[in-house]
Amino acid sequence: MGISLSNFSLGEGIGINTDILDTNIINLTVVIGVLVYVGGDVLSSLLTNRKEMILKTLQDADDRYKEAEQKIADAKEQLELAKVKAEEIRAQSKASAALGTTNLLNRVEEDIKRLEETKQTTIRLEEEKAVAQVCQQVSRLALDQAVEKLKTSLDSNVQRRIIDLNIALLGNLAKN
Amino acid sequence: MNLYDISSVEVGEHFYWTIGDFQVHGQVLINSWIVIGILIAMAVLTTRDLKAVPEGGQNFIEYVLEFIRDLTKTQIGEAEYRNWVPFVGTMFLFIFVSNWSGALIPWRIIELPNGELGAPTNDINTTAGLALLTSLAYFYGGLNKRGLGYFSKYIQPTPILLPINILEDFTKPLSLSFRLFGNILADELVVGVLISLVPLVIPIPLMFLGLFTSGIQALIFATLSAAYIGEAMEGH
Repeated sequence: MGISLSNFSLGEGIGINTDILDTNIINLTVVIGVLVYVGGDVLSSLLTNRKEMILKTLQDADDRYKEAEQKIADAKEQLELAKVKAEEIRAQSKASAALGTTNLLNRVEEDIKRLEETKQTTIRLEEEKAVAQVCQQVSRLALDQAVEKLKTSLDSNVQRRIIDLNIALLGNLAKN
Repeated sequence: MNLYDISSVEVGEHFYWTIGDFQVHGQVLINSWIVIGILIAMAVLTTRDLKAVPEGGQNFIEYVLEFIRDLTKTQIGEAEYRNWVPFVGTMFLFIFVSNWSGALIPWRIIELPNGELGAPTNDINTTAGLALLTSLAYFYGGLNKRGLGYFSKYIQPTPILLPINILEDFTKPLSLSFRLFGNILADELVVGVLISLVPLVIPIPLMFLGLFTSGIQALIFATLSAAYIGEAMEGH
């Protein structure tokens, strides 16, 4: 019956069943009621848990972010400190380098002075030695010549004259 | 009077519309539209005002999405599941809302000239359509992922299994559609018969059982769809 309705008769024959038992309204109400009562509780607790978990995750992420920020600040501080220290060390090393240089220069100057002195002394000594040697040589040569002269020209006459001269000299010495 | 009531439980009566040369089951279409409307309304309402910390509806819909995503991930695998979440989700939500709408909304209030309103999934055409969509989806997934190499699975592990493997492509949608259709129709019939016998209280446990079965069937259908897609895409 009514196998093919035409396209234009969609509304035809549609009615409302008001039989409460036949439409199963009471059972459905009970079912929906229980479902809302029990399922609603379960669902809401489920959703609350989920939301709390998301909140916790967000909170965790936030905390980690803050922690990381703190760490960055700390690290920056450390960096500043290290920079200051490095500057200090650099200045110190510069000062010590300058000090070392002057020290070294002074020492070298002193060394040079000392060496100069030593040189002067050595030269003087050598001079003296040379002079002494020359004197010795000269006096020996004179003596040698004198001895030679004596050997060649010494006779009793000369000897007597010398002795007389010496006696006279000694006599003069005694007079004075 | 009672006998007449019992005999008025009809099976296979439909509210026919004729579109061109086709006769379509009008009550199924009406119910499908209602279900689609519910789903779209839910999607729109819950995602209208998105917040970082989900509230109320957004929380609920995110929970549903997470559920579907996990289901898809376990069946298709971490690498490929993302593209298939919409398909599996559509299957699950449509079937679930269909089943529950059939079980929870007092459709009997509205009288049609023929047939009666109910879950769209209590009609074999709907379930067959959904099952065929699954077939298309897993063929598409397999061919898209592995090209013509997809057909090599028909002769694996041994070419002797070729007929059985081909048969499987027919049995999969068949079993999918009949399982869903049978469960939902049986459930509605049982409740309908029981109502005409004992109108009060007695049908309530069965109605709860029906809700449970409906949910399970939606889950099974979605899980199997995802499993078939995953199976088609994984290499042997």
